[in-house]
Amino acid sequence: MSAFVRHPASVEEAVGWLASIPGALPISGGASLMAMINARLVEPSCLVNLERLEELRGLSLQADGSLRIGAMTRHRDIAGSALLVGAHVLLRQAAAVIANRPVRNMGTIGGALGHADPAADYLGPLRCLDAEIEIAGRSGRRSVPMSQFILGWYETALAPGEIVVAARAPPLPAGATLYRKVARVSGDFATISCALRLEEDGRGTTARAAIGACGPAPLRSETAEELLRGGLGDAEAVARFGAALQAHADPIDDVRGSADYRLKLIPRVLASAIAELTGADRG
Amino acid sequence: MKFAGAFDVKAPRPAVWEKIRDPGLMAACIPGCDSIEKVSETSYRAVVAVKVGPISARFSLVVDIVREEPPTRLVARARGEEGGRASALSCESLLSLTSLGEAGTRVEYEADVDVTGRLGKFGLGIMRKKVEQLSEAFVAAFRGRLEPAAAA
Repeated sequence: MSAFVRHPASVEEAVGWLASIPGALPISGGASLMAMINARLVEPSCLVNLERLEELRGLSLQADGSLRIGAMTRHRDIAGSALLVGAHVLLRQAAAVIANRPVRNMGTIGGALGHADPAADYLGPLRCLDAEIEIAGRSGRRSVPMSQFILGWYETALAPGEIVVAARAPPLPAGATLYRKVARVSGDFATISCALRLEEDGRGTTARAAIGACGPAPLRSETAEELLRGGLGDAEAVARFGAALQAHADPIDDVRGSADYRLKLIPRVLASAIAELTGADRG
Repeated sequence: MKFAGAFDVKAPRPAVWEKIRDPGLMAACIPGCDSIEKVSETSYRAVVAVKVGPISARFSLVVDIVREEPPTRLVARARGEEGGRASALSCESLLSLTSLGEAGTRVEYEADVDVTGRLGKFGLGIMRKKVEQLSEAFVAAFRGRLEPAAAA
């Protein structure tokens, strides 16, 4: 085996290679990275294959009720996991509509996070679930909330040589969830996506929502979510909620839709997703 | 891809013009610019590194001043390629300087940027965001050089 691909046996060995070989990149499922290498968009000097790292595999429920998903967990396994219950079902719903079956068999959640394509399906749900991202580098381990993980277009909090170890979703009150993906055709990236969950407390029900593909990072406004509390059946309150998220949007023009089109879709997709979850559209 | 914008600098117009025509200063203000080399009074060679997400590119550019009317207007053309000719870049830009009297100088710019090859494949939507980011970084750096008091 040429040294172009390294197969570390531990996370520490992996980040050691990444830090010491200039131009080295980590590879997990390769669903995006191989396509980019084939298109000569990236030309790594060495690939550090994360496939043998036990620590990065699988889903597990922690003692505190939080859910840990190892970075090497494939979309297919998340889409079919019985461990995802309550609000965490949102991740299953998102994983099920990523691209197509071959991609879901290859791609991993850690890879999707590291690549941080604004249209990728996990970003909104993880933001909506207040997830934290566990990161490892040569200088040690750290954890970054999803709200601070994405710093810009395809730019993450990962420093050179760091890798995603896991995503961790905290225990959340049970509530209905929905992942709505608007795409030109089945299997395409989202033109816009909406990750939504309902959360009820003594003061009434509100929606927790994250809009994807309308800026470098998912759009979410906790302030607007509090203003919406108790108003899910009120079309005007829902419209104000949509307008609040729209105000944070910074979409691009691309083959999947113009920036203006995406802006127009934000309140509509949100209102229709809320109506579906609250049962208002069955009226 | 067409871009246009304007920014104000708290410095008199001749001083702003002088800095714009100072290759050393421009090299320090252009994000990712590794070097600028003067070929003639109106021609320069520059090496600029650009990073869009996972993709890094280094362009070797030839910048020609096509027309200049000191201290008000400057038309420049830049052309270049990355190593291996994987992508090509060309850019025509127009700068105009208007005196605002005591308040300083307004710099208006228009640029038409074309990227072809592997970087062009990445989608123009994201390239536009990148160029906007780079312009903001340039304006901040350029202002910093001309308004030392404001930077403090």
